[in-house]
Amino acid sequence: VTDRVTTPYEGREPAPWDPSAEIEAPLRLHSTPVLTEWLDYNGHMSESCYLLAFGDSADAFFRFLGIDEAYRAAGQSLYTSQTHLHHWKEAAGGDRLDLTLQVLDHDRRRLHIFHEMRHDETGNLLASAEQLLVHVDMAAGRSTDLPDHLYERIAAIQRAHSVLARPEVVGRPMGIRR
Amino acid sequence: VRQEWLDYNHHLTDAGYAIVLSEAHELLLERLGLSAEYRTSHSASMFTVATHIRYLAECSEGQTLTAATMLVEADRKRLRLHSELFADGALAATGECLYVHVDTSLGRSVPLPEDRQAAVDGMRKAHAGLPRPAHLGLGVGVRP
Repeated sequence: VTDRVTTPYEGREPAPWDPSAEIEAPLRLHSTPVLTEWLDYNGHMSESCYLLAFGDSADAFFRFLGIDEAYRAAGQSLYTSQTHLHHWKEAAGGDRLDLTLQVLDHDRRRLHIFHEMRHDETGNLLASAEQLLVHVDMAAGRSTDLPDHLYERIAAIQRAHSVLARPEVVGRPMGIRR
Repeated sequence: VRQEWLDYNHHLTDAGYAIVLSEAHELLLERLGLSAEYRTSHSASMFTVATHIRYLAECSEGQTLTAATMLVEADRKRLRLHSELFADGALAATGECLYVHVDTSLGRSVPLPEDRQAAVDGMRKAHAGLPRPAHLGLGVGVRP
């Protein structure tokens, strides 16, 4: 039992970046069963637990980039600035969830990504999340440029992901459509 | 801010904001008679369609989070809520959620019953004069 939120990848050292390796489009870095403690009184996955699963996939992505405990201990990290979550279908106990991650855009300090969560057997889209991440100097408490090596890796991923269609819900404002 | 909501940085984790947001919204739904009791008595429930959270400040263990929630808009089947989350009085996040009223035995959206619709209309009138946050309904990354 831990006294705080942990991710399955905590403490795992990133594999060295291989600039010649082909980059998956989208990235498939995380898969998880629906955990018993994620279920609500109805036997369905609680709302906030979708964010836990997307967060774990983001953590796997950070390690893929080279952002781990050592990187954060040196004072910088990627923070979530915004999350727009869409619920499409319910996930239930016993389901296994496959997550994908697509880099939509980036600049020197910001990263725009899109996650999808699918049922592993049916392939049904259960939820998606659009996120804006910011590279932060934690001591100063403000945004700061990504170091060159991370910037280049993110640029390479975005190039590899440029073959993917832009998901329809990206940038969609919330509201009651009539 | 509970210990079990903290991340590796000892700050409130992303999903923790979502927990507090849905607790606040659940209380508002309770005011409208659309909470736990209603789910049992009417075999119907408000389902979350979408959630948009803007993270504005880190929160630490022991801080007290307070939500100020408004009913943004509603029709016969749908409700849209917006909350400001304050940590010890300072704005720490905003959250906007869209809900749809679902008959859980039919498995599809249906209009609210008359009495609940009246409660929603009453709250909508009461909130009509509130200032509307500039970021309402804006997509991710769009600045007001």
